Amino acid sequence: MVYTPYDFNESVRHRTEYIEERLRDGSPVAGISFDGGVLLLTLRRTQRKIFEIYDRLMFAGLGNQSDLEIIRVGAIDFAHQEGYARSPDDVTIQRVVGFAISPGIKRAFGDVLNAPFVVRALFAEMGRTPEEDLFYTLSYDGEFVSLGWAAAVAGTPEAEEQMVRQLVPEDADGVPDLQTALRRALRAWAVGRLWAIDAHLEEEGAESLNDERIEAFLREQLQDLQVEAAILDRFTKRERKFRLLKEEEIRPTLPLR
Amino acid sequence: MGERLSTNHSGDFMALLRARGLWREPEAVPAGQVRAPMQEAHGTTVIALKYRDGVLNVGDRRATAANAIMYDRAEKILPLDDYTLIAIAGSYARAMEIVRYLQHSFKYYARTQLQEMSLEGKLAEVSRALAGNLSMALQGIGMFIPVVSAYDLERGEGRIFFYDGMGARFESVEFGAAGSGSERIRGVFDYILKTKGPVHEMTLEEALRECLLLLDIAADLDSATAGIEKVLPIARAVTAEGILEITEEQLAEIKKSLKL
Repeated sequence: MVYTPYDFNESVRHRTEYIEERLRDGSPVAGISFDGGVLLLTLRRTQRKIFEIYDRLMFAGLGNQSDLEIIRVGAIDFAHQEGYARSPDDVTIQRVVGFAISPGIKRAFGDVLNAPFVVRALFAEMGRTPEEDLFYTLSYDGEFVSLGWAAAVAGTPEAEEQMVRQLVPEDADGVPDLQTALRRALRAWAVGRLWAIDAHLEEEGAESLNDERIEAFLREQLQDLQVEAAILDRFTKRERKFRLLKEEEIRPTLPLR
Repeated sequence: MGERLSTNHSGDFMALLRARGLWREPEAVPAGQVRAPMQEAHGTTVIALKYRDGVLNVGDRRATAANAIMYDRAEKILPLDDYTLIAIAGSYARAMEIVRYLQHSFKYYARTQLQEMSLEGKLAEVSRALAGNLSMALQGIGMFIPVVSAYDLERGEGRIFFYDGMGARFESVEFGAAGSGSERIRGVFDYILKTKGPVHEMTLEEALRECLLLLDIAADLDSATAGIEKVLPIARAVTAEGILEITEEQLAEIKKSLKL
């Protein structure tokens, strides 16, 4: 049998469909800058989802756990090898995502004889000021997008768009503090999750997602899931800037009955 | 990328560097070719002293090469992570290289394995790095002696470990010191312990006073030690809350109160 360009197109389409179908049900991740650092937030069952990569880099994603693990270890390996061989200042989000991780994912996606990565990943880099913070979203085909202030990964691209609107509201004034950032991220998570799984929302429009509906949905989700949130701390004197937030830091922002 | 990334799951940073060809093992020169040791920069006197909240490290800031004073702002006390300090005496070049390695090694382990490296594991890693330095040390260059101070979170106390050039590790009860000036002041430590009681009951201020006096005495007796007169020493402590940076103002204040 001859393998034609048509077959290639067809196989790529099949792969895309297969991956997107599997991603749709994933738990979104929201990323947002705040005055004291950068925040990543998601909801999970038991397995940890947000990870420290390097001094000013962290990462989370949705999709296949073992694929995410390969990306995590690959990013950590590259970051530490570069930080040691050159300097920690040379370990940047654009080098880690653009050169160390993305090409391998692109290759796996194009190689029709091998399994592609089933992931949407979100990298966050903390700068000296919130203006310098950077987010990169990385997709299963190796494509990546860089964003300032906030970013999200979710089950569908439309859901991600809706999440970013929640993270950077039009009426927002200035850089949020941690509490505000947590509230926005939690809200964005709910919107992203609803948007990916509820096909009717597209027709009903974003307006139908009022506070009441979002809170009710979160309350329902929190029965099975727990919030995981981690920050890179801009002002800490500690060597490790990364830290998972404690339950008592998250609880005040949760909609409780 | 899968196969290239899945080789190193033990969290061993040295194994990663070796696999990627980035680990530079110092080369041994054949015995017949060894000439007189080159003049390399040396750090001189560092002191580690237990006190109430953990371990205090103080070091003078001189780096020498034979008779010449190379530098008077050398940093010989460095954090390896939030609960570990290393104080170095001897070859500055090799020491800095190995400190950089250790800092990355501890973090690499914690980040890949999702748990902190144990204190035992960290101490063994220091031994391993020193043993890797041996071929150079035998030629008379690149030798350095570290004193490692750690806050042991399990025991809730500060601990001091000193090493020899081959990587043998010893734990010290109250104090540790290394460098050319340290031999001259060993007796003074014992005098302090016998007249003032155990140092681990001292406040930070009391411990700082003793350390500055010890450095001053070391500078009087050892030409390579800068002491505290021209440039203030560097001081850091390791405590349950992490690394404590002692400011120049604090040091200046204590220096002023000493009757020198």
